[in-house]
Amino acid sequence: MTDRTAPSALQTGIVQLRDVTEAIRVRIRNPAKLRNLELFLLVIAWVIAGGAMVLVQLGALQRVDLFPLQLAAGLGILTLALHIALRIVAREADAIILPVATVLNGLGIAMIYRIDIAEGVTGWDAASMRQITWTGIALVVAIAAIVVVRNHRVLARYRFLAMAIAIILLVLPLVPGIGRTINGATVWIGIGSIVSLQPGELAKIALAIFFAGYLMTARDSLSVVGRKVLGIRFPRLRDLGPILIVWGMCMLVLVFQRDLGTSMLYFGLFLVMIYVATGRRSWMFIGVGLVALGGIAAYFVLGYVQRRIDAWIHAFDQSVYEAQGGSFQIVQGVFGMAHGGLLGTGLGLGRPDITPYANSDYIIPSLGEELGLAGIFAILGLYLILVSRGVRVGFQGPDDFTKLLAVGLAFAIGLQVFIVVGGVTRLIPLTGLTTPFLAAGGSSLLANWLIVALLLRLSDSVRGRGIA
Amino acid sequence: MSELTLIIIRIGFLALLWLFIFIVLYSLRSDLFGPRLTPLQRVAVQNQRSREQAATTAPAAAAAADAPTTVTERAAPAAASAPGAATRVVITSGPRAGLELDLPATGLTIGRSSGAGLQIKDDYTSNNHAKVVRWRDQWMVQDLGSTNGTYVDGKRISEATPVQVGSAVRIGTTTFELRR
Repeated sequence: MTDRTAPSALQTGIVQLRDVTEAIRVRIRNPAKLRNLELFLLVIAWVIAGGAMVLVQLGALQRVDLFPLQLAAGLGILTLALHIALRIVAREADAIILPVATVLNGLGIAMIYRIDIAEGVTGWDAASMRQITWTGIALVVAIAAIVVVRNHRVLARYRFLAMAIAIILLVLPLVPGIGRTINGATVWIGIGSIVSLQPGELAKIALAIFFAGYLMTARDSLSVVGRKVLGIRFPRLRDLGPILIVWGMCMLVLVFQRDLGTSMLYFGLFLVMIYVATGRRSWMFIGVGLVALGGIAAYFVLGYVQRRIDAWIHAFDQSVYEAQGGSFQIVQGVFGMAHGGLLGTGLGLGRPDITPYANSDYIIPSLGEELGLAGIFAILGLYLILVSRGVRVGFQGPDDFTKLLAVGLAFAIGLQVFIVVGGVTRLIPLTGLTTPFLAAGGSSLLANWLIVALLLRLSDSVRGRGIA
Repeated sequence: MSELTLIIIRIGFLALLWLFIFIVLYSLRSDLFGPRLTPLQRVAVQNQRSREQAATTAPAAAAAADAPTTVTERAAPAAASAPGAATRVVITSGPRAGLELDLPATGLTIGRSSGAGLQIKDDYTSNNHAKVVRWRDQWMVQDLGSTNGTYVDGKRISEATPVQVGSAVRIGTTTFELRR
């Protein structure tokens, strides 16, 4: 290597040929163990998802209707296509993420279908039909992402583009003409009355990419410690700029889009990523302090925040229960879960449709009623596995950008589940976020399958470095 | 359909859901409990353990004995290995077992980072884990503040420690020795 003269074209050709044959030999020698495990788990995932559909039909219709099952089988084929794409372009990707996401998505479709049956809607009016279509689109986008993005480190170069995209996506719902206000929150966009999208869901991926790229370069100055107050070392005052900007952005979302959940999600995402990047606990204290400050201010200034908090603390108060925008939904959800008990009423046999938005914001209580505590814990376990796989990719990541992006994406899912499940179980005030993979909603599905594609790509680059 | 079959199907579905979770956890066991050894590796580890035991008892006995005998005992391997004579590093167990590389006169850094002279990629290795350096015609191993430590002949080292030819140095799941 040291005294190599300029190689002739023939020599380089031979070297390339040798590399190619070596690569083929390695492929033949290492049967794709991970991919075989993934296929095995995927088959079980299909059985669970299909079984849920059949059980819903047996419970609610007392017969088996083949048409929805055929549509679901089409989605199964798309997940198989994603699996085959992984065999070709990301052989060393994590084997757990895809099957877990498939189970969650399948359970969600079954429950949305069940609510459709209860409400008697069919055809394109049915949320389940739209959910199946969106799942198909999301899977195709995920396959495209994994095929196109071969090296995720390229994304670090586009961090400011990602920031611009995030801001545009956040502002879009406020643009007159395409912005839509549904139930008080201005987070949708639509063209005419046909398509309505929630761009904020996609913005969280762009934000995660931007935060990871930014913190990769800024982590050194952000970890410099300044003054010590009450036994905790705080960062220097001049380094507080970025966190204040993100906080301000989240407060704007809170004020103008009137969406508590999204602003909590973005700020939590930034807080965790800055903590992972610097390893300084003081950022957490500063963040929690800022949240408390913003929360108290919002409580006194914004009426809808006040109503949310009242409905959370005094949920069983008769006047709050009967008030417009009161705690009716929360209480119905809690009653539903209590009715489900330990093992649930059985799919298709409960009354989850009594609760408003039983197929989107309230899909967790719907599942809780029909699958019981055992089922809810299984679902939370699946989320835990999904998030832990992402954090594991971050743990193994060879460089700062990979680590931060993996942890950020995984944590976005985890935090979203916490905000939703915490809201419906009255641990925290209820906010209108979607439950990843489960809830009815196209943009949420699209965003979460993109996160899955990115995590798979990251995990492949972590393991596929050829060494050990 | 009768009430009983419906209850059985219902509970069966929940059982299937949990079965899936347990299969996932079972397939993640190597992440939770460390990699599983093949029978061949297990034999190698046992051999190494017995060698480590012999190695730990021998210096203890030597230390207990009088100074002159210690010197002669110590001198014997030192003379045999002609100070600093090792020129190669051979990995005897771990993911890269069988790998041989030359030991540069300037020393060798070991770690997970791509800049390390010997790159070991597992979860038990720190980015800059340890280095092998030459000091007064002797090869020494120095731990660079790693999380999981560096072991010479089965003992965790806290300072630069001389390494004889053929003694086992363990970092994470990787064991290597110096050879002539």
